[in-house]
Amino acid sequence: MSKPSDLVQGTLDLLLLKLLALEPLHGWAIGIRLKQVSGDILQVSDGSLYPALHKLEQQGWIKAEWRSTENNRRAKFYSLTRPGRAHLAKEAANWDRLATAINGVVRLTEV
Amino acid sequence: MPGLRHWPYTIPLRIRSLFFRNRVERELNEEFQFHFDRQVEAGLAQGMTPDEARAAAGRAFGPIPLRNEECRDTRGFNFIDNLAQDLRYAARILRKNPSFTFAVILALSLGIGVNTVAFTLWKAMLARRLDARNPGEMVNLARVPKFGSTGVDFGDISFSYPDYEAYQDSVDSFSGVVAFTTERLRLSNAGGVVSQRTSTAESPLGRFGLLSAGASNAEFASVYVVSENYFKVLGVAALRGRTFDSLTIPELVASPSALIGENYWQRRFARDPAVLGKTIRLNGVAVTVIGITPHDFVGTGVVVPDFWLPVSLEPLIHGYPDWLHSNGIRPYRLFARLAPGASIGQAQSGMTLVARRRRSGSDKPATAFIWPGSPLPLPLNSYHGLKLTILLIMLAAGIVLIVACANVGSLQLARVRSRRNELHTRLSLGASRRRVIRQLLTESALLGLLAGGAALLFTWALMKISLNFFIGALPAEDGAIVLHVTPDLEIFAWVFVISLVAGILFGLAPAMETSRQALAPGAGASTVRFRRFQDFFLGAQVALSLVLTIAGSMFVRGAIHSLGMETGYESKRVISLDFQFPEASKYAASRKAALVRELRARIAVIPGVAAITSARPPDANVFRTAAVSLDKNAQSILHYSYVQANYFETLGVPLLLGRGFQSQAGEPERSIILSESAARQLWPGENPVGHSLRLGVTDEQYHGADELIADGPAYQVIGMVRDIRGFEFDGSDSRQIYLPLSEDGLQDHPLLIRTRSDPAKVIRATDALVSSIDPDMVTTASTLDEMLRQTGPFIASSLAAAIASALGLLGLLLASMGIYGTVGYIVVLRTREVGIRIAVGAQKHNIVGLILCESTRPVIAGLLVGILLAAATSYLLRGLLYGLKAIDGLASFAEMALLFLAIAILAAWIPARRATRVDPVVTLRYE
Repeated sequence: MSKPSDLVQGTLDLLLLKLLALEPLHGWAIGIRLKQVSGDILQVSDGSLYPALHKLEQQGWIKAEWRSTENNRRAKFYSLTRPGRAHLAKEAANWDRLATAINGVVRLTEV
Repeated sequence: MPGLRHWPYTIPLRIRSLFFRNRVERELNEEFQFHFDRQVEAGLAQGMTPDEARAAAGRAFGPIPLRNEECRDTRGFNFIDNLAQDLRYAARILRKNPSFTFAVILALSLGIGVNTVAFTLWKAMLARRLDARNPGEMVNLARVPKFGSTGVDFGDISFSYPDYEAYQDSVDSFSGVVAFTTERLRLSNAGGVVSQRTSTAESPLGRFGLLSAGASNAEFASVYVVSENYFKVLGVAALRGRTFDSLTIPELVASPSALIGENYWQRRFARDPAVLGKTIRLNGVAVTVIGITPHDFVGTGVVVPDFWLPVSLEPLIHGYPDWLHSNGIRPYRLFARLAPGASIGQAQSGMTLVARRRRSGSDKPATAFIWPGSPLPLPLNSYHGLKLTILLIMLAAGIVLIVACANVGSLQLARVRSRRNELHTRLSLGASRRRVIRQLLTESALLGLLAGGAALLFTWALMKISLNFFIGALPAEDGAIVLHVTPDLEIFAWVFVISLVAGILFGLAPAMETSRQALAPGAGASTVRFRRFQDFFLGAQVALSLVLTIAGSMFVRGAIHSLGMETGYESKRVISLDFQFPEASKYAASRKAALVRELRARIAVIPGVAAITSARPPDANVFRTAAVSLDKNAQSILHYSYVQANYFETLGVPLLLGRGFQSQAGEPERSIILSESAARQLWPGENPVGHSLRLGVTDEQYHGADELIADGPAYQVIGMVRDIRGFEFDGSDSRQIYLPLSEDGLQDHPLLIRTRSDPAKVIRATDALVSSIDPDMVTTASTLDEMLRQTGPFIASSLAAAIASALGLLGLLLASMGIYGTVGYIVVLRTREVGIRIAVGAQKHNIVGLILCESTRPVIAGLLVGILLAAATSYLLRGLLYGLKAIDGLASFAEMALLFLAIAILAAWIPARRATRVDPVVTLRYE
């Protein structure tokens, strides 16, 4: 998997948080889900995924838990913490504002 | 970091990362493994073979260690991880070069340890406070002729009892004033477990020949005589029993009481509680022991006394009923405690007022001088020659440190060159420059810490040894010196930091410089600069080492010289016999005179006695008076003493001009004899015989400098004798005025006996003689030579020599080690070069010669500079050391320099030769 172009670290964090808000996932599943949900547009390389996950964990936005998967193998499942939810809401709102602003400029037909 | 809400999550994580690192690492690996496996499964599902699937997964995931590192980075405790790794690496490196490590640690601990001990002892001995509660409030009192006069004299700190009473009552700034003096009293009726007559010759001072092994036929005790409020003002309670302030003065006189020191009680009475209430006799006066002072309590003194007596008993002790009312008897030093809120300035003004009121009409007005409490009698800047000695010792200690740092610095420099390859390799493997530098820093820090630890141990050990030496130096009879000293941590920290900065940073800077050049092979330019830096360092190291060892040897020779120092009189064959009458009141003056006359007559016929005279020994002439020649008006202050006609003959002092005193009673009044330098001072270039001068008071008492006015009768000079040395450091008491001693003054002066043969035999004979004449008389006899060895300058010079030669030896060891190590190491580094040269066909002896030349060049430069510095130092030192001329011992300069040169040559020659012996192919591969 190649590095997604133009995807800033902060945006990746937002995506991860949102995915984990819906349901707890382990690292591999996150990558798959992201691909699915974005229609194969967004792909995160394994090299970026785990450092980002661990950083979010260190910052306290997500927490980790070892559980068995459907195949009865042990995997580390991440889920949002309560402060994480608040942070997600804030970041999502920021993103909205940013996206609207950019759209506003890009969609201009006249100056 | 927004809010505290996320802390319950972050803190446990941090703790886990810190303390359960292994588990965290394992979990990380497990997580990656899971991901990897799933990736492989996906690959298989897409139709790849198992190998292809695994390869693809590996590519996708990237290098696992890198991933590990990245995740670890996010954990934020990477710093500690790296630190641990650096430390382990540093420890390995240091272990790999044990000689380097050992050399550095040894050098640093010696330098740091010596300096810490020296400065701590300085602070402890000279910056000592009084042994009292809240010593910061205590002050010493003195009365000086005019305000701001530097140089407080012994006369200025001596007060009479009426003085003490005046200051005690009238100065508001003092909350209490105490009086203090020391006595050595004859002890009897004591009994006790251990007799006091242990041999003084066994103590270290005795072994150096520094103490009089004089014979005495009685026991003595050291006594502190103090005012009744002493213990109250100092805030000290008795260990057992009571102190003086529990009794009123009349009570103390009615039933004379004394205190005993705990140390003496332990030593002499084995802590027998029956000593309380026991009656002993001091100088024949019966006193009862009412209390015991605490262990090691010295009060305003330096030494722990055997007994304490109240001042009110002085009239009884000395047999002089008016002792406490006489203004002329001034044996007491005064100390005071400042009242709360009072400053020294206020106290000084208050005391000055009282002092002025007490002066009778004709005396000059006096001013008070107060300085912070110290057991030393005079404020520090009054001790002239002593300060210089101490300063020089401090300097020597400092130079030892500098030599140590120079050692370390040059070793580091040499080593850095050998590590260049290692550094380059690490950089090319991908380590960031910051990381490499951090590792070097860690290594230096580790070395510094190890050295600091070793230094602490060494300091502690050295301190213990020094203290034991000093404390054991005086025999028990003089009281035990109390020195409670622990290595001063502040000083230690200072010295440690200095040596860290100096010694280790020298290795760091070139290393950083080297690492900057990453993979550039063209490091040629910096090598040259580097080499020059290194040579400079080596030269400096050599120069300093030379100066240090030469200075040390000068001190040693100075001490040896002063052992046989020129006194100007016969000291080995003259005995000084001092006698004391026990209860002075029992003997009328006429009886005393008769006894002395009989003693003289009987001693004169002992076989072996050549002459006998009554006079004080030359080094006891402390009294000074003013002298003004009648034809000029300038006043000089000169020492004087009373001597009989045969004094000069007895001591072997030649008469240079004029004549001596006539031995018959028909000596014209008012004749005096001058010493050479006195005559030179009064009438430079002229023959003094026949001149007249006026003298001031000559009553053999202490007088402050303000009282010395030449307003007495006129005297005529009848002769001049050669100078003899007294007790002053700078020889200022060689300027002597000799006055004729009259017959009725004989009993106040000791006897000087010139012997033909062995003085010890005569001493034994006089002992027997004295007991047969009057068994109550107490005599002490020793040769003038032995007494000389007890004088301040001699003791100071000897102790300073002992210390300095220890330092010098240390410095020599350090220096030799350093030179050998550095030069040798530098040559070892050139092994590869040697291999190359041989491979291209150079002759072995040519190579060895080349290396020797290049290695010894900086050494020789350093030696030359060192010789110059040492010559300058010896010029400065000559004033201090008795009889040492400036260029004295030029031979020893050359010896020392040659020794170092030999060591350097040897250090260069051995590895060079070894390098040429080995097969070039091997040396070429040598790193």
